[in-house]
This record gives sequence, C-alpha cells and structure tokens, in this order.
Amino acid sequence: MSMINAAFGNANQVQQNLAGILAYIMEFLTVNARPILQVLILPGLAFTLLFAVFAVWFERKFLARAMLRVGPYYCGGRSGILQVFADFIKLFLKEIIIPSDVNWILFALSPVMVSAVPGLALVLIPFDANWIMWDIGSLGLPMFLAIMGIAPLMPVFAGWVSNNKYSLIGSWRVAYMYISGEIPLVISAAAVAIMAGSFNLVDIVESQKNMWFAIPQFIGFIVFFLGVLIESERTPFDIPVAEVELVFGWRTEFSGILFGFTMMAEYVMLQAWTLLFITLYLGGYNGPIIMGSIIGSHIFWLLTKFLILVIFIVLLRCVFPRPRMDQMLKIGWNYLTPIALLNLFLVLAMKVWGVV
Amino acid sequence: MTEPEITPELMRISWGPQHPMSGQTRILLDTDGEKVHRIIADLGFTHRGIEKVLENRSLIGGIVPIDRMAMVDTANISIGYVTAAEKALGLEVPERANWIRSLVCEMSRINSHLYAFGLQAEATGYFPAVFLWTTIDREILLDLFEELTGARWSFNFFLPGGVYKDFPEGFADRVVEGVHYLRNRFKDYWNAMIENPMFEMRCDNVAILEPKDALRLGATGPVLRGSGIPVDMRNEEPYAAYADLDWEIITEDACDVMARTKVRFHEIGQSLNMMEQIAKEIPEGEIKTRFSPFARAPEGEHISRVENGRGEMSTHLWTNGTPNPYRVKILPPSLRNMYVFERLAELSHITVADIPVVINSIDPWYLDADR
Amino acid sequence: MSWIKKLLRPLGIVAPYILRNSQTVAYPTERLMFKERFRGRHQFFFERCISCGICARVCPCASIELVEAEGHEKTYPSIDYNTCSFCGYCVEFCPKQAIEFTDVVELAVDDRSTLKYSPERLSEVPDIKDLVPRMKRRTEAYLTDKEMKYRKVKDV
Repeated sequence: MSMINAAFGNANQVQQNLAGILAYIMEFLTVNARPILQVLILPGLAFTLLFAVFAVWFERKFLARAMLRVGPYYCGGRSGILQVFADFIKLFLKEIIIPSDVNWILFALSPVMVSAVPGLALVLIPFDANWIMWDIGSLGLPMFLAIMGIAPLMPVFAGWVSNNKYSLIGSWRVAYMYISGEIPLVISAAAVAIMAGSFNLVDIVESQKNMWFAIPQFIGFIVFFLGVLIESERTPFDIPVAEVELVFGWRTEFSGILFGFTMMAEYVMLQAWTLLFITLYLGGYNGPIIMGSIIGSHIFWLLTKFLILVIFIVLLRCVFPRPRMDQMLKIGWNYLTPIALLNLFLVLAMKVWGVV
Repeated sequence: MTEPEITPELMRISWGPQHPMSGQTRILLDTDGEKVHRIIADLGFTHRGIEKVLENRSLIGGIVPIDRMAMVDTANISIGYVTAAEKALGLEVPERANWIRSLVCEMSRINSHLYAFGLQAEATGYFPAVFLWTTIDREILLDLFEELTGARWSFNFFLPGGVYKDFPEGFADRVVEGVHYLRNRFKDYWNAMIENPMFEMRCDNVAILEPKDALRLGATGPVLRGSGIPVDMRNEEPYAAYADLDWEIITEDACDVMARTKVRFHEIGQSLNMMEQIAKEIPEGEIKTRFSPFARAPEGEHISRVENGRGEMSTHLWTNGTPNPYRVKILPPSLRNMYVFERLAELSHITVADIPVVINSIDPWYLDADR
Repeated sequence: MSWIKKLLRPLGIVAPYILRNSQTVAYPTERLMFKERFRGRHQFFFERCISCGICARVCPCASIELVEAEGHEKTYPSIDYNTCSFCGYCVEFCPKQAIEFTDVVELAVDDRSTLKYSPERLSEVPDIKDLVPRMKRRTEAYLTDKEMKYRKVKDV
C-alpha cells in the first residue's frame, strides 16, 4: 500500500489524474484530430468499407434464413463473417477481361465512378452539430441532391461503354427509372425544408427535437421511402439489374475487381440515401443522452436508426416481386408525383396557418 | 439452323444458352428496346436420341432411359411407354397395381407443378423466398418415393403388367401425414404469392391466349385449360385408376398468365385429394402378372396417350417379334407448347421484361421437347 | 383499404420464416439415415450365386460381366460402376437373391479404371465410418405442423 502511494500518489490524486487524462484524450479526439478522424473513420473510409462488408454479410445471412438455409458458415468460426473478405480477395486476384472493341480507359474507369460519386454525398451528413465533414451551412440539402443527381448518369455510361445489347437495355432502364423516381423525391425534400425553415441539414435535425417530421408529413415519409428504394436500385425496384431477364443489366461485362466496385456501388448508394432519409424524416441524430457524452450518444442514435432501417430494407427484398418498366413509370408519374405535390401543399398550409 | 433475316430497325437478342434464366435452349427475340416483335425458338440443344436408344434395348430395359427423359416428372412419362408395351404384349393389370400407379403418378405431378411454381416465382423477381420453399416441399415427396421405390426420382417402378413392389409397413399413414403438411403449406403460398399485389400486377392481362387460338395452334395441358377448354387425357382415355377416383378437370377463364398459374395451383390441390383417397381406399390384391423380362412382342403398332404435368404425351410403338421394339415415336407436350409460345408475339403485346414470366407460365421442359 | 391489407400480408407471412430452423443437412458432420429400399452400392453373396447369368442379360446398361474369381470354381458377376444406372433389375430378377443393395453412396475415385468392381470387392462392404471420417451422427427427417425438421437417430 505504501509503495502504491509512493508511486501514484494517494487515491484522490489518482482519480483526478485519470479524469484529467481522459478529458484530455476526448478533447484531442473531438477537436484537434477531428478532420483526420472524420476522413478516415466516420463518416469516411472505414465507415463506408465496414458498412459494405457488414451489409453484404448480413444480406446473405438474412436471405438464407428466409430461404430456410444457413448461408456462409465455414469461414470465420461458424458465422461466416470472413467469407466477405475471402470473396473480396478472390475478386482482386481474378483476371479483368476487357472486350476488344471498347475504349479501355473509360471501361475501367466507369465502375469506379459509379461507386465514388455517391460516396461524395456522404460528406454532407451531420453526425452531430459539430461533426460534419464538409460544413457548407445552408447549402447542405441542395448540394446533396445535386450530387445524387449526377449519380444516375454513371450507370448509363457504364452500360453504354460495354458495347453489349443487354447492358444497353439495362442503361435505358436506369434512365427511365431515375426520371420517374427523382421528381417526387425532390418535392418531398423541399416540403421538409419548408417545415424546418432552412436548407441547412443541422438546422433540419435540430428542429426535429420535439417531434420527428415523419408524423405530420407521413405522406411525404412514404413517398420519400419509396424514392430511396428506387434511387438506390434495391429490390423490388432493381429493374436495371434484373438478373432473370438481362443477365446483369449494365453490370454484365465487368469482371474481377471492377465487378467488386459495381457491387459496392449499390451499398454506397443505399448508405447515402438512407442517411439522408433519417436526417430528414426520422430525427437525424436526436435521441436521449446516454452516459453523459453528447457526441457519443448522437452518433450512437444515428447508427442505431440506420441499422434498423437497413434491416427493414433487406426484409423488403424477400417479400415483393419486381414490377415491369412501364408499370414503374406509371407508379412514378401517376401516383407518386401528385401525392408528393399534395404533401407540399399540406405543409405550406400548415406553415401559413401556424400549426407547426 | 438457318436464321430468318434481321429487319433493320430491330435488335436481335439471343436469349441464349448462357443466361441465368433461359433453361437449356436459345430463343431469339426481335425487339426494339421493350416490345418484342418476333420470337424464334431454337430448340435441340439437349437432343440425346432417346428414340434410337430405345430401339437397342428390350421392352423392359427401355424403361430406364425413358425415366431420364424429363427428370422432374418421371412417372407420367414412363407410364405412357409401359401402357403401350402392355398393349403390345397383351397383359392385363390387376386393380391394386392400377391404384398404386395412380398414386405415384399424382405424386409426380405435384412434383412437377411445384417446380414450375418456383420457377414462375423466380421469373417475376421473387427470388429469395418462394423458389427455395418449393424445393423444400418437394423433399417430402422425394422421401415418400424413396420409401416406396428405393430411388428419389429415377425409379423405374412400372413394369408391363403391374408395379414392382408393394407398400411397406405404415406407408399409407405417412402419405396422409405428408398430404396434411402440404395442404398447410399451400395456404402460405396462396397468401404470400398469388394474392401479392405486385405479383398480380406482373401477371394479370399478360400474354392473353384466346380459346380459338389455343385450339387452332395445338396447345395442350395447363396452357389449354387456362383458356377455358376442359380437355384432360385422364378423362378422355382413362388409364390407371382414374375412372374410379373422384376428381374434376380444372379450368380458368381469364386466359392470361395468372390463369395458368392458378390452374397449376388448383391441380396440386386436386392431386393431394386424390392421394388421400388412394391411401385410404386402396383395394387388396396382387400387384403384378407374370412376365418374363425376355419376352417377345408380336408384330403390331400401339398408341398410348397419357397426361403429363405439361400436357398430353403420346407414345407410338411398333414391334416386330424381336425382343427390342422396332420403332418408338414420342410426341412430347413441351414441343407443342413452344410452338404456341412463338406465335404469342403476334397475338398479344409482350415486352422483354415479360418474357421469363410468359415462358414459365407455358412451362416447357426442354429435355422433354428435344427427347 | 383492402389493398393495403393485401400489400402488408406477405410481410407478415414471410418475416416469421427467419426464426425457423434451417432445413439442410450438415454433411459430413451429419448423414441421413436412408430408407430400407434405398439403392446404393451393391453387395454380392458368393454362396448364393448359381452363375445363371440372368443379371448380365437383363442389365439395360450392359454393366455386368461374368468373370472368374479366386478360390471359387464358377464365374461370378462383376459390376462396372462407370455405366451402372442403379436401376435394380439385377437385384429384382436374380432367382437366388445373390445381389442386394446397401446404402453406401460414397463411390468417388480419382482413377476411372478402379470403378470396375470385381466379385470379391463387391462382397465386402466397408463401414460408413471409414468412408466419412468426420461424421458424428445420423439424422432423419420428420414432419411437424409447420415445418420439416431433422432429428438425431443415433450417434456414431
């Protein structure tokens, strides 16, 4: 006892020293090293890659359970978590086959662009009032929608550069689908911005402290959710990549690591759109504070909502068949656009008469 | 084959052998992006020369290759050949053997329709759930086959003059248990799949085949019964015990893809009722008549027509006094239905996205069509 | 409102499937218990055979050939598993039941000429534990109200 006293001081001093060290570490992490942490870990490189790995594994296990079988089992100690890494390494080591009469620079570049452009939009999502990678204030929402407006051009481009009839049909379908799905999405987002009073994403989250926007704007909630499924090409709206009709749509000709990039693109798009959906309608990072740390609990609540929504989206894949292209256009133009406009007028009415 | 010429404005897609969903065939589509203007079916990839193989084997040894003609639906094909061989040899089948033959044929029909059902679900994009469920449900039937005959699908169980073996102990109870289990499962299929609004959206009013066109082009099986015409070989020329069982022909009037799917669905229910009736009311008796495996059939020609899972199949057998048959000609149902499929592009509006749905509603089995 | 109920009903039906058991057999740790009449590899009994040759004449795939065997006077059948289709005619038409089926299905080899089984080899059937060393239990399927499950029959 006396030796410990001599080495570290008595009990009170030890506690004060430890608390001081902890506070110093927290301050360093959240203030000084913040840019590096944001770029590398959250919401940067590590978050995106880990989410892609987790989502692939989770989807395979979940689908296998719905099909009453086991899924990846042997790699990684009976849960199969290392199977994704094994597939990733296999894709790296495979030969990249480039058809002989395409422009090989554009051919090799287009899958990278397909997965990189949605990743650009991730920098705008606020994980906390002070934790945004690119804080451009009141241009947040329009910038996000502008970046994701360029995103549909990339699959069209990839299908065209492949010089293959199936890919061409796939890229036409991408163009049709995005045209029909984009407009209701933007109108619903505008309604949210009107209700919050600004385009700044942090302000939108802060104004949902008392009540999430999903409750007064439930029509817009459903329209935006369908729009999220359409834009990220998830079943039941994965018409461009319908495996039973066109071999793999615009992804047909890519092999090796280029194929890996196109698979990752689906999950990066899903990540970007789902995070925006949570920010606009489900309260963003709001939630009860746990363990006294504001940043920690904000990040925790955002990630929890994100995980629950991803689970629900994967469940939707098991349940519904996919519609045909002309039925998809009919849904988008005949049903979703008028409902989104109705939602906008309702929000304007509520704002003018001071209800919300 | 020499392909017809390409019109300049249309794009020719080869729905080819290298495709996740095409089966073992190649179909050429002339399309302008979405609407299909012409369909050309290029069969023959799986031609194995079964008719020639049958000329080199004896009458009883020929049952083994015929079992492998269409693997999903073996009993209904081999009963065609066996009935023709019985007519050639002049044998008579005892009553209990007829009832056992009906039981095996109905189980085989359920097998085939379940497989078609799963493929239809996969074609509409409903990939994860339903296709694997039908595979698991077929496992029940395959276990019953294993218990009765010894093999899971390539049982050569029929013999000219009867069947090989009798029921083992307690088999009838297990059949009834399996029937109850499958009836429970079909409630799930009806609610989750056929009454699914998106499945209806995909299948209603697609590829309408009018009754007069179906008769003119020679459709058969559920394709014909889905257009409202009640023709079934088990009714026209009753073989096995079908004259004694109570069943009725199932037709639907809507003439589209959904009608054909519903015909198959209700036929499964009908077959389950027949299985239960057979397991409870089967008469006692012998199961085979004496027959030497080296018998020689006298000279003559004989025809037998049976109802396959896919339609009517006729077997035409010429014998000339040697142990081997002189010539066997088989007319499969899938070939006739593929002809109807080719004409569907002119009869109704089909888009490229509809093609897998329409193919699986016609349900060809290319091994059967090419023999 | 009925179409909303119709749209949500498949969700309610498919979602509970996640909680059910998987209906697969974890081979090679488990191996199914085959039924009594299952057609696996053949087993030959020297003392019952009378060398009549019916099995060789009735086999539709021409896989049986009568050869000499060591230590026995007559000729006995040897089966060529390259072409055997497991149809069961030799078992059915043998007048003395000298050939029977077992439930061994692990017949894969590296060299195709070893698939021609001589009569001595046909008469000795190896134990399943030697063929599948990782096997721990034998299972069989049974039906409950809603699902088909596998239960353990015996430990190995």
